Amino acid sequence: MFFKSLDLTTALRPLLLPDETLLFVQDAVGLYEGKYKIPDYQNGHAYLTSHRVCYVAAEDPRKYSVGIDLKEIDRAEYQAGFFKSSPKITIYPKPQKGKTDKSRSATSSPAVSQQSSLHPGNPSSPRPQSAVPQKSSSPKPVNATWICPICSFSNPLPSHFDPATATAATQLPPCLACGIKPPFTTVLKAAISAAASHDSPLSSTNLLPAEDNQAQRNGSRLGSSEPAGSVSCPRCTFVNHPSLIECEMCGAPLISGGTSITRDDASRANSPAPFFAQSRITNTEVTESVKLSFRDGGEKTFHERLKGALIQRKWLLQNAPPVPPPSQTAAASPSIPAIAAPESPQPAAPRITAVGIAGLEQRGLETRMNNQLVIGNAFEDLEALMASAKQIVALAETLARESGMATNGGASAETNAVLSESAAALGMVTTKDMLSSGSENLYLSELSRNLAEYLTDDRKGILQREGGIMSLIDLWAVFNRSRNGVELVSPSDFQRAAELWKKLKLPVRLRRFKSGLLVVQRYDWSDEKTVRQLQDWMEELRRVPPDESVPWDWTVFGRAVTAQETAQRFKWSVGVAAEELEMAEDRGVLCREEGIEGLRFWNNHIAS
Amino acid sequence: MATAASTAAPFPFPSTYNFPPFFTPQPNNTTRHSQLQKWSSLIQAWCRHHRTYRLSLVDAVDTPLFHNAVLRKRLDLGEARAIVDWMTKSEEQGGGGQRAEWIVGAAAGGNAAPNSVAWIWWRRPEEWADVLTDWIDATGQRGVVLTVFELVQGEATVSQEFHGMDVEVMMKTLNVLVKRGKAQVFGNDGGEGVKFF
Repeated sequence: MFFKSLDLTTALRPLLLPDETLLFVQDAVGLYEGKYKIPDYQNGHAYLTSHRVCYVAAEDPRKYSVGIDLKEIDRAEYQAGFFKSSPKITIYPKPQKGKTDKSRSATSSPAVSQQSSLHPGNPSSPRPQSAVPQKSSSPKPVNATWICPICSFSNPLPSHFDPATATAATQLPPCLACGIKPPFTTVLKAAISAAASHDSPLSSTNLLPAEDNQAQRNGSRLGSSEPAGSVSCPRCTFVNHPSLIECEMCGAPLISGGTSITRDDASRANSPAPFFAQSRITNTEVTESVKLSFRDGGEKTFHERLKGALIQRKWLLQNAPPVPPPSQTAAASPSIPAIAAPESPQPAAPRITAVGIAGLEQRGLETRMNNQLVIGNAFEDLEALMASAKQIVALAETLARESGMATNGGASAETNAVLSESAAALGMVTTKDMLSSGSENLYLSELSRNLAEYLTDDRKGILQREGGIMSLIDLWAVFNRSRNGVELVSPSDFQRAAELWKKLKLPVRLRRFKSGLLVVQRYDWSDEKTVRQLQDWMEELRRVPPDESVPWDWTVFGRAVTAQETAQRFKWSVGVAAEELEMAEDRGVLCREEGIEGLRFWNNHIAS
Repeated sequence: MATAASTAAPFPFPSTYNFPPFFTPQPNNTTRHSQLQKWSSLIQAWCRHHRTYRLSLVDAVDTPLFHNAVLRKRLDLGEARAIVDWMTKSEEQGGGGQRAEWIVGAAAGGNAAPNSVAWIWWRRPEEWADVLTDWIDATGQRGVVLTVFELVQGEATVSQEFHGMDVEVMMKTLNVLVKRGKAQVFGNDGGEGVKFF
């Protein structure tokens, strides 16, 4: 498992890969490597996406941000807070290929344990693995644990538990700490995840000799430093008597003393205090584990969603063809709507060719049936809705496009296109659901970042099209419409989010005109720049002779401009143009002329 | 009393007079201030050119002073009043240095509206007093008794700037000199005489 460098968006959020979705965000999170805090990585946002766990520091995010691919994560454990210690989630890496985790391979199957017991590498262990009856009798991984949902104590998986045959009726031992029987699913999940994470016994067997040599070396070195034969617990480090097979303190299984200590010792020897000397941890390998410390709550949801993401394994689905809709099997008719199965691999079954009106009607009917099916499936429960979100969004867009075409012929086609496209492009949608309840500030700051990204996205170029300036109300309307009526943002939230831009140092800024009109601008866009633009324009007008003869000396005074002309020239909205002109007037650059033609602005020749 | 006599040379208007925004009150304080200043000097120059001492705004809004026929722009009465009002204030009050003074109760042409006629002080009475003293000194007329009519209309003063001056302005000027102890005014209505010391 590696800390990977992160690409950040303009709003300093991790840039998502295609198909990647944001699952959860939590602020005030610290990062640990093993047991040690990583300096400079102690206050930031943790982003859980369907593919990664990302950390982005609050201070200097461009420098201190890392991501871990979920596919390299073996499991995540939850650790509740205790007095001053914040709740933590520990992420364990998957064993690397060609560098198998010794402790696990030694116990994962009877074949291996026999191997290791025969091997001279474990002489210090008085009780070879094969001597433990339950281990030889069960093909299951013995050091798999399930975490009690009541007291969060890590219990060993019962030896007779077989995820393949077990049912809800299977007898489960109660939690060792609190005595409450666990829910069947908890144990089942633990068993499956443990089984899934182990390598095949064969490959590990092949690799064993070399490792055990190392193990032996380490073991012998260890013998000199620690009381002979004692076994330190891999979980709590309590040094147990060698004859114990389970830790006295925490109940974790003590695998053959030699190897377990060896592993611990080896990683320590390699990196005693892993990252203290380095300022950047990008691309460093994590050998032991990574902890996320949640100083401001949110750990439960994060853990839940992380587990969910690990089970769903969305990263495997990248570029996979979509699940063929069941309607295809039911009806011999072809799947007509492109949205339901756009890249359906199998061609349609023999097609009943109907022509004319009957054919059109049939097509319509099929489309409706299919839409119904998609909607019906999706809304069965929330999980299903999330799974088929893509389809539903596509469907919603099609419906919106159709209805838009039908009803408002007046609206420009371009606007409609932008609106319907933007929902798809609006990749990282911040919703309240993504954040733990009650963290209003986090919601606002995420929304603020979301907005900033939306604005600065070059694909849409919202700001460019509006001439670099846009009124907040227009933005609110466009933004909410681009969400297709889901998870709409309230005006007050929107304004508060926009007001956060300055604080979060985002590349857009909110500006209040004298009249109270709020506009959105790029942060590097200042009044001086606008004034310079206007002055350049005035200068230009002074050089170009006017279309019709004018009574004044145009080589000196130039020509007057109206707000409409200004709006046209700079592609601003008229309201914004009027405000900008008045701003320039306020600075004494322009002056006004009120006449029967309306309000016009001139270069200021009065004050000069 | 608006334009006393159309002299041969046309009045040279400043360039801003042809600038359309000049006729619109500017909201920006700095711009407004220089606009008022420009108007003030324009009015003073105009009055000096036409030897006008007393300016009736109601009549003046139709004169080229306030009406630019070429631009088809005019200063409306309210704005003209605002400018003259600014001129009446001293500079400490944020005004134009008391270059004008409202003539209270003056019913010019039967129009009894308040603030419609004003003295335009292209020279203030104090300044006129200086001019008068200089002339007296230069011609050695100290201790000589002159009538006001002689001063204003007399042949001896034809070359002087105050020749043809409004009698009321002359009286104000002489009053300044009396306060300074440089002159004594005697006689009564219509036949005042003045003795310079």
